[in-house]
Amino acid sequence: MDAAEVEFLAEKELVTIIPNFSLDKIYLIGGDLGPFNPGLPVDVPLWLAVNLKQRQKCRLVPPAWMDVEKLENIRDHERKEETFTPMPSPYYMELTKLLLNHASDNIPKADEIRTLVKDVWDTRMAKLRVSADRFVRDQEAHAELDNLTLMEINTSGAFLTQALNHMYKLRTNLQPSQSSQSQDF
Amino acid sequence: MAEELDLTGQDSDGGSEEVVLTPAELIERLEQAWMNEKFAPELLESKCEIVECVMEQLDHMEENLRRAKKGDLKIEKFFPHILEKEKTRREGESSSLSPEEFAFAKEYMANTDTYLKNVALKHMPPNLQKMDLLRSVPKPDLDSYVFLRVKERQENILVEPETDEQRDYVIDLEEGSQHLIRYKTIAPLVASGAVQLI
Repeated sequence: MDAAEVEFLAEKELVTIIPNFSLDKIYLIGGDLGPFNPGLPVDVPLWLAVNLKQRQKCRLVPPAWMDVEKLENIRDHERKEETFTPMPSPYYMELTKLLLNHASDNIPKADEIRTLVKDVWDTRMAKLRVSADRFVRDQEAHAELDNLTLMEINTSGAFLTQALNHMYKLRTNLQPSQSSQSQDF
Repeated sequence: MAEELDLTGQDSDGGSEEVVLTPAELIERLEQAWMNEKFAPELLESKCEIVECVMEQLDHMEENLRRAKKGDLKIEKFFPHILEKEKTRREGESSSLSPEEFAFAKEYMANTDTYLKNVALKHMPPNLQKMDLLRSVPKPDLDSYVFLRVKERQENILVEPETDEQRDYVIDLEEGSQHLIRYKTIAPLVASGAVQLI
């Protein structure tokens, strides 16, 4: 899966916007949205919010967790714990990137927030690398990875699974096995 | 317009049951089928009914988004095994291929056969001119590792490490947890919808 596809899934997340237009309720396949009234906050999927913002039809409201103090706490908590801590949103990285790219004027202290989220990401990726290393070294057959977001799994996932597949094949071929999958002529 | 759709599904007795879904749930199911198919090492059950319902919705909405149901060369890579599976499929089990995909797979097989014959086999000594595609084309690797998220709690899933100590152990899968494990052990859970590949 590409990062773009993960972002596609992330764009279903609801965010709050303040439209500057009015529109009656709209009926989409994924659910009903609206009605839209100027100045009144409404929740819409991220893809729509970004689109409206680009057409200058709304203002974006940052999610509650996108705040310097809260992110500092999250970052410190993540650094202290050895395992992965729950994140404020399963798509925190995608939300941060999209909101800061398109609506940094609506988000206070955007640069600090960008740095803080990047710190959290780096800490978690480092933990992921360490734990993948341990997984391979100890030749585990199963790992539990609660609290990892899809973007994090996807970034190293393809490489990790391919490497594990190769190692598994190498290991099982060491033992003379009856269920050999090799091709005999 | 949260009208409800009738989705004809199969229950465990092999009979048909009508499952009523909202359009939003239908989209959710399509996404899940898309992700499962993307990350599974083998071809999963064809979800024609979901695609048909979505197509109705899309036509209704006058939009033109066709999401590739299964489009990552899996049919081309594993075609002899898929056709073999179809031949030996029991009555009542659901097919892995839609009618169009089945026709595609058969044509692909015929074309590959002809191609190999004309390019190579013709020129070999007469007693070597037969070829068994089933044996020469690699099977889907069901021992591949996959990531999954648990939708329904499962107990006693067997984990078999491949080291010499051969210490099999069982684990429970809690709802909402995420895991990395070999595909073979959890393949039936993907088919039943108890876990989602990520």
